[in-house]
Amino acid sequence: MQAKHGIAKLPFLQNHCCIAFMSSAARPHQPDTVASLAAVDIRCQRGERTLFSGLELSLERGQCLHIAGANGSGKTTLLRTVCGLRKADEGHVRWQGKDINDNHDFARAVAYLGHKDGLKDALSPAENLQFYQQLDGVLNTTLIDSTLQRMQLLQCADLATVNLSFGQRRRLAFARLLLQRKSLWILDEPFTGIDIAGRDLVEQICLEHLAADGMILLTSHQSLDHSSLASATRVVTL
Amino acid sequence: MLFRNTATLVQPLCFFVLIALLFPLSLPAENALLQRIGGGVIWVAAVLATLLSLESMFKPDHRDGVLEQLIISPRSLTTAVLAKSLAHWSATGLVLTLFSPLLSFAFRIPAEQAWVLFISLLIGTPSLTLIGAIGAALTVTLHRGGVLLAIIILPLYIPILIFGAGMVGQSTQGAAIDSQVYALLAIGVLATTLSPFAIAASLRLTID
Repeated sequence: MQAKHGIAKLPFLQNHCCIAFMSSAARPHQPDTVASLAAVDIRCQRGERTLFSGLELSLERGQCLHIAGANGSGKTTLLRTVCGLRKADEGHVRWQGKDINDNHDFARAVAYLGHKDGLKDALSPAENLQFYQQLDGVLNTTLIDSTLQRMQLLQCADLATVNLSFGQRRRLAFARLLLQRKSLWILDEPFTGIDIAGRDLVEQICLEHLAADGMILLTSHQSLDHSSLASATRVVTL
Repeated sequence: MLFRNTATLVQPLCFFVLIALLFPLSLPAENALLQRIGGGVIWVAAVLATLLSLESMFKPDHRDGVLEQLIISPRSLTTAVLAKSLAHWSATGLVLTLFSPLLSFAFRIPAEQAWVLFISLLIGTPSLTLIGAIGAALTVTLHRGGVLLAIIILPLYIPILIFGAGMVGQSTQGAAIDSQVYALLAIGVLATTLSPFAIAASLRLTID
């Protein structure tokens, strides 16, 4: 029954993807440029069930793409495929024309914020950020402090992360994103658990990222229509 | 990380000591018998303790999402898992090795053989951790992967166990132990050079 449902959804899905494609084509036409991030004809399945197939996506610098869809429609699977955590069952994801597998340029450009925060409970927020800085081969404690201040986490910088609330952990995860300075942000439900002030802050940060020629691919249950991100965002529905 | 969480550090060690101590308590109190089986028993205990500790190798990283970040990161995952395995060994295999003279005392093993046992554990346990890490990586997403992990890994541990325990046995009989030392070192070199690739590949395969 479920598989049937997935197939029935297909034409609908491709329709939307065409829209996604057209809006990127509607920008000033440059024949030789390749899309920064492009998913070409990808199909993903979970178990026996095909979540989506024939999916096309493209994302250019300064753009934000909002993947909408019901629970179980494959939003998270799509994001994990695009950031290279899982392989697509068919099709390719390309970064500046090259496949993302074993692509060092892509690995340097992508940051992923999933359902799991990627934070160590036993370490303090500052130590968690240091870990990610060291992973990128830099260590700058003043930058860590200013990032924590921006996310309003400075007062708990030395507590163990296990003592932080869910919302504070999400803020800390965003602090990591800010610190890593990657150009492509892949965000899975970034607004979950964050209060209204935090949401405004996150939207502000996303806008700044887009203004600095960054790219964002995000999923969210909430509509972004009334947010400050709305004007910069395209929506694709799975 | 392991040193911050003392439970993960102490558990395999306690397990190792207790398993090994059950034997002198349950067998007839004959010094000759204990001496004869001591090396083998301590080696089996070390293998089981390593197996127990493997679960904590990648599971926490998988649970909190750090593993995903490591896979995405531009840094080589192979190097990262090698570093992780060595760190894990320093908190398990190395600690077990350091405690082995104490157990040798319980088995009335003479100092000479206790020294051989110490060396055999020192060069054998890194391979146990590195090979075990492959199994840990393969079972990281499973909720109750412990039994499966044991089924995958224990057969691979047999050669190490044979050479490690054999080394102690040979020295008890006064025979040369060179061949066992070379065999253990060879396994160690192979495990160090090859298993990081296998671990990284297994992690990429199981995480999706």
